[in-house]
Amino acid sequence: RQVASQCRLLQSSSGRPSSPQIPQLPDDPISLQDAPGGLFQLPPGDPFPERVTVAWLSVFALAFALVCDPQENLSLAEITLRRLAPRLLVSLRLLGPGADVLLRPETADVLLDRLLPHGQMLFLNERFLQAVDREV
Amino acid sequence: RLDGKFVELLQTVLCSSKCPEQIQVLCAAILREMSPCNDLSLSCDEIQDTKLLSLVSSVLLVQGNKKAEVSAVGQRIVKVLERRLPEGQSAQYLLPVLSNVITISPESLSEEHTNVVSKKMADWLRYASIQQGVAQPSGGFFSNPRTRQPGPVTEVDGAIATDFFTVLSVGQYYTQDQWLNVQAFSMLRNWLLCYGGKGLKTPNSDDKSGMDRSVMSVVSTTSTSSRLLPPKERLREKAFEYCQRLIEQSNRRPLKKDDGDLQKACLIEAVTIMDIICKQDSSYVYRAVSFLKVLHGRICADATYARALLPIAQFFLNHSKMSAVDSNAIYKHLFTDIPAQLFHNPSLAFEFVQFCKDNSQLFTETSSIFRQSFPNLFKFLAWNSPPLISEFVDLLPFLLDAGTAVEIFHLLLDLPCLTAALDIQLRSAALPTSERAASDPGVQPATCLEAFRHPLYKSVFQYLLRTKSAPEDAPERLIPLRQLLGSLASSPRVMQCAETVPVLLELFFRVVAEFADGQLINQLVVLLLQRSDQLYEIPAFKDDVYRVLSSQLVMLCKLHPALIVELSKEILEFSGTVSNIQNKEAIFTHVVWAIGEYMSVSYDKRCTVEQINRFFETLEAMLFEITQLRPLASTPSYAPRAISVLMATLTKLAARSQDLIPRVSMFLSKMRTFVQSPAVTSVYCEEDLEEILIRATELMNLLKMPSVAQFVFTPPVDVASTRFQREVNDSLPFALRIVTRLLEPAPGFMP
Repeated sequence: RQVASQCRLLQSSSGRPSSPQIPQLPDDPISLQDAPGGLFQLPPGDPFPERVTVAWLSVFALAFALVCDPQENLSLAEITLRRLAPRLLVSLRLLGPGADVLLRPETADVLLDRLLPHGQMLFLNERFLQAVDREV
Repeated sequence: RLDGKFVELLQTVLCSSKCPEQIQVLCAAILREMSPCNDLSLSCDEIQDTKLLSLVSSVLLVQGNKKAEVSAVGQRIVKVLERRLPEGQSAQYLLPVLSNVITISPESLSEEHTNVVSKKMADWLRYASIQQGVAQPSGGFFSNPRTRQPGPVTEVDGAIATDFFTVLSVGQYYTQDQWLNVQAFSMLRNWLLCYGGKGLKTPNSDDKSGMDRSVMSVVSTTSTSSRLLPPKERLREKAFEYCQRLIEQSNRRPLKKDDGDLQKACLIEAVTIMDIICKQDSSYVYRAVSFLKVLHGRICADATYARALLPIAQFFLNHSKMSAVDSNAIYKHLFTDIPAQLFHNPSLAFEFVQFCKDNSQLFTETSSIFRQSFPNLFKFLAWNSPPLISEFVDLLPFLLDAGTAVEIFHLLLDLPCLTAALDIQLRSAALPTSERAASDPGVQPATCLEAFRHPLYKSVFQYLLRTKSAPEDAPERLIPLRQLLGSLASSPRVMQCAETVPVLLELFFRVVAEFADGQLINQLVVLLLQRSDQLYEIPAFKDDVYRVLSSQLVMLCKLHPALIVELSKEILEFSGTVSNIQNKEAIFTHVVWAIGEYMSVSYDKRCTVEQINRFFETLEAMLFEITQLRPLASTPSYAPRAISVLMATLTKLAARSQDLIPRVSMFLSKMRTFVQSPAVTSVYCEEDLEEILIRATELMNLLKMPSVAQFVFTPPVDVASTRFQREVNDSLPFALRIVTRLLEPAPGFMP
């Protein structure tokens, strides 16, 4: 919910109209370099017991959020999010019609397990990332 | 709640060795989701397979630690890591679990355990292979019997690596120990925070205590003798070297663009870890300081590295005293140049403001560069309002004191203007140089963009966009600029910024109330009245600001009631301007109410009868003006509460200067005619007119008993203090109603 408001506010501030229509699913990995995203903090109690920082990314009508402790490396969080999002989009076919995300939690879990094992962010360079992709 | 039998089934499937990985993952996910689960009988003690151990641990760690599952997992993992793993098993699946364990409960590992891990980590960080791995034979139609001899790993720019392996080392395939290198570095910060200092540090303990307890390392820390170091100190040494190497590696230009992003993240991590190490062992400070100064020199002009300047500055804030290094140039560059150039980078903006919050004690020093730069800091908020407003609510109190209050008041009211000006600054910078010629001073600029370079407006823009506090400068300079920027008033970003202003204004006054003396309060009230004419023309913005300013005005009067007398000139002028009733109704109403409330000897001995009479005459003229009966077509409507409050205040003043009573009574008696005239009934609604008449009648009745009126309207000071909180319309005291009922015992007030 908080991510959705931040996303809408960011989009409206830049004057870009939000495009509700979902485009054709492209075959190549989607470039998320220009996808809108940001950082904000949530105070303790709403909804997490401790203060957290949220990194978010929006792709068309979807938003991804990564919740971090305030002391974590936020640059790495943004990188991790920008890597997770396209892979999740592709493997769960999130942009296509009838995406049955809730029926296939293990698909998301396998991806998360490799790129964010036990919630640990990893410093992976591009080649390492390719090696991870090969493993999945 | 899951059925016990189902849990048993899930556990069995999870632990069965023939089960495909996806199903195992699914079972684990279900068990996690349904945690805490009382029927769980999973244990990690017998599990040999590291992947399974990782999965089972993920379930155990979310059970709420009632049966000490966290220690059990932690200890099991350390045990597995200690011994050589069987063929095909990899420790890489276990390190993230360990990281999780120490985040949840650092006490679950004893010193013996942490020494085991520290020792291994030092090796993984420093001694991973620098040859590339080989492709794992996968079977199937691509298995190649000829395995190519792997070459050495390379740097991100393609050069052959000549030093030890790090996360910035590149290869086609990776070996196990290289994976462990990546994992170990990824959890290094967490590990050092927990176990790197003296004694155990839980994640919640105060960070500063590490600095107080930093110990000069007794053993020499040069690399040659490092094998003699105890595990903790040895890890520290290797970690420091790793960070140094990363910082050097970040100087290379990567072949793949995305590796550039990782370089920057690594840089930030490396500097942060160095900072932690120096806190835990101050003998590292000397080595780090020169290194980081060079780094700063290298990146300070590169906008893409701006985020890394923050941990560098933090390092110098933490350690420069020890090293007697003058780091003022670093702070100056950070606070003067960075916000001005990069306010539009939302991630940098966020982290910069966090940095300010983490170091809020810096802003209390009046002459410091940090304190002086507050105009620059507001640029982050002006441009990125939604994510930063809550951060600024936390930060603002540290920026406010008697010296900055006035300037910040103006700044807050002009925050949306700042947004507009920043927009123009960006667009102007994006223009090709050919179009940037200075405009002709004789010709008025046609657009805001032209005005930016126009000689008449240039300096005003520069004032608005200043990087340092300038309390002597007159904010009236901005009046023409505000008008010019009117075309941008409806831009979405400006409007988003405008929404933050009322919140910040209320906070501003709340904080100021704690330290302001009479002089400052007077100054703020005068400015409040002045600025009500000088606001950026954004729909709804002015109304919201008026609403806040009027309630805060009342608060200031309560703090310093004498201001009515001390500022009688300004207040007379404001309350005597008819247009204020229409344009700034909220402020006008509250000013008039405050006059009625506080213009009295009981609040200020200097309040003379002449002053009361003067105010009376002014307000009487105002009431007369707005209740004049005019021909049907031209009756303007005024806010009914303005009429009410004028009547009430006039009555109150008359109660204190009783010669005025006949005048008021006569006026009030004419209100019936006013309320019933057709010209008026057509522009005001019935309930409002009824209310006005009731009020007039009550007040008239009260004046029939002048001594009671005097008591009611001039009570002892502490009784009055509860009244101002109610809405102005209801501010007539309860006693007034009682008195009226006594005079007119018949039910209902309408004759």
